Amino acid sequence: MSYCVNCGVELDASHKRCPLCNTPVINPSEPIQPETVPPFPREKGQVELVKRKDAALLVSVVLLSTAITCGLLNVFIYKANLWSLAIIGACIVLWVFMIPLIIYTKLSPYASLVLDGVVVCAYLYMLTWLTNKNTWFFAIALPVTLLVTLLAEIMTFLLRKFRFSFLVTATVSFLEIAVLCVGIELTLNRYLHHRFYLSWSGIVLTICAIITVALVTILSKKRLRNAVRRRLHF
Amino acid sequence: MRKKQSSSTEKRPRRDWYKLDLSAIVYPTLQRRDFSAVYRLSVTLKYKIDPVLLQKAVDIAMKRFPTYKVAIRKGLFWRYFEPNRRPGPYVMPDIKNPCMPMGFQTNNRYLIRFYYYENKISMEAHHSLGDGTGGMCVLQTVTAVYLELLGFFVTKKYFVLDVNAEPSAGELEDAYMRYANAKVHPPRQHEKAYRVRGTKEPFYTLNIIGGTLSASDAKKAAKKYGVTVTEYFNAVLLYALLQKQEKEWHLKLRPVKIAMPVNLRRFFPSDTLRNFITMVYPGIDPRLGAYTFEEIVTQTHNFMRYYINEKFLRGDITTNAATQTNPLIRVVPLFLKDFIVSRFYASVQDKNSSAGLTNMGLLKVPEDMKPHIERFDIYMGQPFSRRTNCAIITYEDILTINFASSIVEADVERYFFRKLVQDGIHVKIASNRDS
Repeated sequence: MSYCVNCGVELDASHKRCPLCNTPVINPSEPIQPETVPPFPREKGQVELVKRKDAALLVSVVLLSTAITCGLLNVFIYKANLWSLAIIGACIVLWVFMIPLIIYTKLSPYASLVLDGVVVCAYLYMLTWLTNKNTWFFAIALPVTLLVTLLAEIMTFLLRKFRFSFLVTATVSFLEIAVLCVGIELTLNRYLHHRFYLSWSGIVLTICAIITVALVTILSKKRLRNAVRRRLHF
Repeated sequence: MRKKQSSSTEKRPRRDWYKLDLSAIVYPTLQRRDFSAVYRLSVTLKYKIDPVLLQKAVDIAMKRFPTYKVAIRKGLFWRYFEPNRRPGPYVMPDIKNPCMPMGFQTNNRYLIRFYYYENKISMEAHHSLGDGTGGMCVLQTVTAVYLELLGFFVTKKYFVLDVNAEPSAGELEDAYMRYANAKVHPPRQHEKAYRVRGTKEPFYTLNIIGGTLSASDAKKAAKKYGVTVTEYFNAVLLYALLQKQEKEWHLKLRPVKIAMPVNLRRFFPSDTLRNFITMVYPGIDPRLGAYTFEEIVTQTHNFMRYYINEKFLRGDITTNAATQTNPLIRVVPLFLKDFIVSRFYASVQDKNSSAGLTNMGLLKVPEDMKPHIERFDIYMGQPFSRRTNCAIITYEDILTINFASSIVEADVERYFFRKLVQDGIHVKIASNRDS
């Protein structure tokens, strides 16, 4: 029967420290006996995970049957060109998108984004077979896909690393939109006119810049920040 | 004979679904990966528990509780319960972290769990099934059946129900709707209360600190201040929270409030085994000045006397029921309701109190069951946000106070129990924290 010298409460025989204040129990006349039955079990329980096997199976079956049906139709009935490749490819892309959501939920978000980027690139490259030309793929599709993947990775990293408030998230999103639009227009202009210049994305850039500057100003002034929170709270 | 039986079953067809009661609607919307509204009730017997016999007792007793042997499902506008005919619920060896989140699809879709550890039987139930009183009926009936399987006789009264009887309609009713008939809807009072600061424990840990004391000691201490035991413990918890706020770094002080469920069966007769509670929020506003403990006790005492009566509680029920009966709210699809309710709960309801406290009071147990029972414990379960919840129950002269918190610091508990010691109450502490 030991008491905490600090709190004055009697402690259960299994405790080496007071659970309230962490003071060690020192009782020379009654050393702690490790074999006493503790008041609570020592084993920790594990939360049972919800199995999404059914959803994964359903999605896989639907996509697979769509792909097979279109493939068969292409081979036996509508034989004009390889149109079914576009649908089969789209099914594969959708299935890969579904992986982190329902098929393998432990996949890291960075890896799944890279995987998504790779599969979209592969799909677009496959489409070059249908168009008989691959210059558009290397000049536009590949750089834009890479840019989108990169921006998504950066956003994921920022959101996971720092706990952004609503306003900071908005600021970063506007910055990324501006970068994306500029990137798209630069690649398009290089492909169509063989030179780099900005026209419509310049407008997007200006608008995003104005919004970003406004948001940064609001963020840096506590009074403004609170005013916006108050008016936009939901 | 057979004909007669079939006609009686025709009269009362087996219900194949149940509506959620008024407060049960809220709990499933708060479900997160790391949170479920689960509470725990435990009974400690005088002998070691035999799991095989306990499983038998659970299987026999659960048939008596159709609203507990259910699975929760989603409809287009509301959730509902449907009878769960899957095998289970199975008794399991007890674990260190009680009140784990309860996935609706896991555990064979049961929303109730039974554990055994040494002499202790514990039952965990999702709050949408029912409140502590309903849960206590299940636990005591299971215990009574267990004792009967051991060869003892137990009288069926108080919380022990006869497992061979048919459940009455009153036990399955949503009693709120019967009493939600005040002529006005008094507005809800909302003010952001003080929030306990602390370091969050990793997923998933629930820290329990339990104090055991003599009920007569507690009564004596409460009598010294001229109040009831519940009022006294409320005042002590408020005092502990005030001290904690004082010692913490703060820009400004906030009112300290406790969310305390009131058992409405005391005021509105009902046999229901489902939820029939409402919340009151006794509090102290330290911005008005420093309160002495005596002043806190008086304030709590007066608050309880003023608010906890049939008239005010009826108004409260009516206000709560108004949202559910409003046709505009009823046609909103469930996913939108979930979104709105969970946001409202996190931003308003949860911030309305600094801690939770429940006192089930002196437990009535049939005389012939008493020789086998050592004590009862109740746990309020995992708090929704970083704070600590306190649950009190008395059996004979043993009063148990169990704090459940998901933060590392035990300051509130320390201030609470030190105050009890200062008031001359002998407290014995036991915890599941690593020591």
